[in-house]
Amino acid sequence: MIKSINKAGLDRLWERLAAAGPLYLPVKEGPAVLFRPWAEGAAAALDVTQATVSPKEIFFPRDETYLKFRREGEKLALAESGTPAGPAIAFGLRSCDLRAVELLDLVFRGQEPADALYGRRRENTMLVALACGQPDPSCFCGAFGINPADAPGADVMAWWDGDVLVMEARTARGEALFAAAGELLQESAAGSKPLAPATAEFGLPLEDLPERLKSRFYDPAWDRLYRGCLACGGCTYFCPTCHCFDVQDYGSQERGERFRCWDSCMFGRFTLMAGGHNPRPTQKERVRNRFLHKLQYFPENFGRFACVGCGRCLRSCPVNLDIVQAIRALGGETVEQR
Amino acid sequence: MNSVNPLVPQKVTLLEIAAETPEIKTLRVAGEGGAPFDFRPGQCAMLSLPPVGEALFSITSSPDCRDSLEFSIKEAGSVTRALHALSPGQELGLRGPYGNGFPVETLKGKDLLFIGGGIGLAPLRSLINYCLAHRAGYGHIDIVYGARSPADLIRRAEINKRWPAAPDTAVYLTVDAEFPEWSGHVGFVPSYVSELAFTPENRVAVTCGPPIMIKFVLKALEELKFTPDQVITTLEMRMKCGVGKCGRCNLGSKYVCKDGPVFTLAELKTLPAEY
Ligand code: SF4
Ligand code: SF4
Ligand code: FES
Repeated sequence: MIKSINKAGLDRLWERLAAAGPLYLPVKEGPAVLFRPWAEGAAAALDVTQATVSPKEIFFPRDETYLKFRREGEKLALAESGTPAGPAIAFGLRSCDLRAVELLDLVFRGQEPADALYGRRRENTMLVALACGQPDPSCFCGAFGINPADAPGADVMAWWDGDVLVMEARTARGEALFAAAGELLQESAAGSKPLAPATAEFGLPLEDLPERLKSRFYDPAWDRLYRGCLACGGCTYFCPTCHCFDVQDYGSQERGERFRCWDSCMFGRFTLMAGGHNPRPTQKERVRNRFLHKLQYFPENFGRFACVGCGRCLRSCPVNLDIVQAIRALGGETVEQR
Repeated sequence: MNSVNPLVPQKVTLLEIAAETPEIKTLRVAGEGGAPFDFRPGQCAMLSLPPVGEALFSITSSPDCRDSLEFSIKEAGSVTRALHALSPGQELGLRGPYGNGFPVETLKGKDLLFIGGGIGLAPLRSLINYCLAHRAGYGHIDIVYGARSPADLIRRAEINKRWPAAPDTAVYLTVDAEFPEWSGHVGFVPSYVSELAFTPENRVAVTCGPPIMIKFVLKALEELKFTPDQVITTLEMRMKCGVGKCGRCNLGSKYVCKDGPVFTLAELKTLPAEY
């Protein structure tokens, strides 16, 4: 089913859809564009190629309390807590974002025990993908076979046709969105199709890369590659497929809560053991772990690269130490220079 | 409290806390119905004491003991310090069991050589007592165990009396240096293993202890012609989730919390030595 809406009508659409639960949209917040629940007066930044922080935070928030405790002498009361994850809509995800969700699903839902916190949000959130009209120069989703104009896994695929937003419902859930929007949507003129822009692949030597990397763990290239790294963690923070987290308690002896929050394998204390031993003692091992996780370990476990070519690490790293550099340094001959 | 969120602990009560050495205490905990879950020797569980936090420990009791679980814990950081300070009656959080555990099935019919150092006896003890409880399933059992000093040896009742008295079982104790109260063997565990010259025929060695000890034990076993698949060890890493998702305990593509902590030397040789 295909319907459409004129740009001018979108505010009313947001209002209607947000009535039933949070409607996550890319919105400007200071210098960043972030997926945030729509609120009256918010302007959706649907024209921005990518949200600064990936929409993974809709399903896997930066921090999340899941346990409350109370202690009275010997007695300890533990109660599950956290924000109820009711029906929600994520509107405006790009094809790379959708692929990243697919990859996170493998980790959080695809292996026992399933992660309930992620799973609940994921199950209850409708995914509306928006075709990408103008990839950023740092985007290289084409290298991973991603089509910016088509996002498998979306409940609704949307694209711009001039000032008209065309939407195709692809699942029953997507059709429910059409029903909720009611008369705000028009029957669409047949024949509109998202235009697939040219995508970059950067000529990366990805063929058999996981296999070839097996023999390069001790490669001297790592000694050069890691050097500039400031261990700021920016790359992992922005990456849509990074899923490391920390678990911490907060509170007094009497009461408090336990939460999990994003963590980063780029931080020195990430693997530091209580006795002082650190199996990844320098930034070299940490950088190596990050890239091998994306390019070898994840493929070994799940048969997929854990990179979607979104380019966020290219744009965010203060010292230009990104996954493209790593693939070039460790992947063998390059076909072309960027 | 059974939760669909695997990170949520259930409640257990500390029944007993006993000092093994100046640095190690054994905690015995139980839920309302006894041991809160079934497990295999070598598996681990996460003990939590809010607001200090959680930490993962190997379960040192045998799965055959169904009324409680035991953990031998060395003081190393804030969680272990807080655990050491507890008194019986205190309620705690617990979740698990985690990890693969020892391959009790493939060990069937084999002679077993246990090699432990210090707190490293804790995971071995679960398997040793399991094998002794299912004695007919396993061959001859040798236990080589050492520590820095006599005061650092744990589970004294077992290493001195119960195990040596068990059928077809030998215990070899050693300490690193001479002590006035010690009349037994003196020397490091790896050299004692070489000295005892165990033969590899139909035998599997299971070792756990400080990394430096393991390193030399592996060397000693290699010299005694044990093949890499005849040697089993357990690894320790920093852990948070216990279920292969928080991303911090990996060795290459394997997560120690989920795919370990028990590995054969043959498996370890295929993984980056990042432990
Ligand atoms: S590694 Fe870089 S390019 Fe790849 S998905 Fe992560 S942030 Fe995007
Ligand atoms: S690679 Fe770049 S973004 Fe990542 S931690 Fe290092 S300096 Fe920061
Ligand atoms: S402890 Fe979280 S992945 Fe192993």
